[in-house]
Amino acid sequence: MQAIIDCNSFYCSCERLFAPTLQNKPIIVLSNNDGCIVSRSDEAKALGISMAAPYFQEADRIKKFGIHTFSSNYHLYGDLSWRVMETMRSLLPPGQVEVYSVDEAFVDLHHIADKDVHDFCIHLKNTIETWTGISVSIGAAPNKVLSKVANRLAKKNKIQTNCVVVLDSTQKIQTALQKTPIEDVWGIGYQYSEKLKVYGINTAFALSMKDLSWGKKFLGGITGIKLIRELKGLPTHSMQAPRTEKKMIATTRMFGRNVSEWQEVEEALATYATRCAEKLRRQHSAAKCVQVFLLRKPTINYNAEGHYHRGSQVNGFALLDNPSNLTPDIIKAAVAIGKTLFEEGEIYKKAGVILSDFVPDNALQTNLFIAPADARRKKLMNVIDNMNAAYRNDVLKFGTSSTQKNWKMRSEKRSKRFTTRWDELCIVK
Amino acid sequence: MEYIDQDPSEGIATQQINKNYQSSQIVQANATGFGAASDDFMERGIDLNEQLIQNKPATFFFRVNSDAMLGAGIHIGDTLIVDRSVPPKTGKVVVAILNGEFLVRRLQIQTHSITLLPENKKYGAIHIEHLQDYKTWGVVTYVIHGL
Repeated sequence: MQAIIDCNSFYCSCERLFAPTLQNKPIIVLSNNDGCIVSRSDEAKALGISMAAPYFQEADRIKKFGIHTFSSNYHLYGDLSWRVMETMRSLLPPGQVEVYSVDEAFVDLHHIADKDVHDFCIHLKNTIETWTGISVSIGAAPNKVLSKVANRLAKKNKIQTNCVVVLDSTQKIQTALQKTPIEDVWGIGYQYSEKLKVYGINTAFALSMKDLSWGKKFLGGITGIKLIRELKGLPTHSMQAPRTEKKMIATTRMFGRNVSEWQEVEEALATYATRCAEKLRRQHSAAKCVQVFLLRKPTINYNAEGHYHRGSQVNGFALLDNPSNLTPDIIKAAVAIGKTLFEEGEIYKKAGVILSDFVPDNALQTNLFIAPADARRKKLMNVIDNMNAAYRNDVLKFGTSSTQKNWKMRSEKRSKRFTTRWDELCIVK
Repeated sequence: MEYIDQDPSEGIATQQINKNYQSSQIVQANATGFGAASDDFMERGIDLNEQLIQNKPATFFFRVNSDAMLGAGIHIGDTLIVDRSVPPKTGKVVVAILNGEFLVRRLQIQTHSITLLPENKKYGAIHIEHLQDYKTWGVVTYVIHGL
């Protein structure tokens, strides 16, 4: 069987681990730059705080109910995410944990007899909670799509299910599918669910009754066939090789103030490009495509109908001759694109650098035709990455990124980095 | 990092010579916790983590701000190593949450209650009957104390 292990309100759980006064209180976590709500504790959900809502929209309610608000603390979440995944890895044979996102992983349970899967999932859940303090929900089923269905039901009925649902019989699978609205099926987006409802398909069960050729015709070809196959309870056709690398890496930030000088935009882009290149090297990829956008400040914030104006955005991209993950290459490309987008006299409030079209970095390293200078530059990158990882606050920077100005995230309500900084450890009395 | 300034047109021989230079850089680098010694003949130095951390994903650090456990050798300003995977049994020093505060005390478990014992006469034992207000956070396995 396959299982998906999903952390419950992950960012909130991380915050709560080191906030003894907030154990059963409503809390929320905001996105980068405190823009949107990205995580809500069950108590906050019960108070009607909606997911992904802009912070300002919910500000009144947050104040009224005294909901404790945190800025994103990615150092803390990243560390705890690693701990959760590492706990799973230590309880499973090598290669059977596939990290799917910061708070979710698929685990392959083929080595466990079906009748023991439930007990094993409980053991997994309890161990993760004991070791890391992060609570999880687990859904297990014959394949990934159904494990997602099971997980959703576990999360919906935490007390009755003890956060573990195993679909190990045709009867259980059917009942679960009947309880799953079509829009909640993994891989069915809003658009597809609207389309399917037109055909009278309102639940996962209704979709599972369709035959494969129907799926091929109406659900995007091979993807549709796979989806319906799995809903019918057939095992996942070909186990995809675990893939943890991202397909796209972006660093985008609000400036937090008005910016109209090219030099400032250039510094910001260089900083973001540096961040992107670091992320790229960490996953051992090299990018072919560099994309840059600048967001202009709108002249008015709200139009006549009262709709919020986001401001107009300008985009540009460049394809590198050779895929690269070297900071100078990425900076050079990003700044060159930025230069073509930038207009004198405009005010900008946000910028971003996005890398895509990746190739594995090891393919580059084994290339016999690579210039020796490049190998050296790569070594330099390693040194810089390691130095920055050891000393943290970016001790080594490239000339273009400013040494004074701070283009980092705006994060006013961030908790301490309890697990990654010696000077921010949790205090005990 | 001078080696990057060298002319890239220099041949492999130069790179070989440079290798020793780089490895000495790496040894220095180890002191700050980065890089891995690449030379075959080099033995890895003693790693404190091996001694002090039995289960990395379950191990956390805390900073002490109380003299309640002075008798157990825990001073103000010390660092506690806390392993959440160690079962909290009677007699263990634990980090616990009580009334919205993190406390370090010696744990004593009775049938229907818990007692947190200090190791300093200035403090009294804390007897906890309402266990819903209490949570054992983790077991203290080591204390790091500067002299």
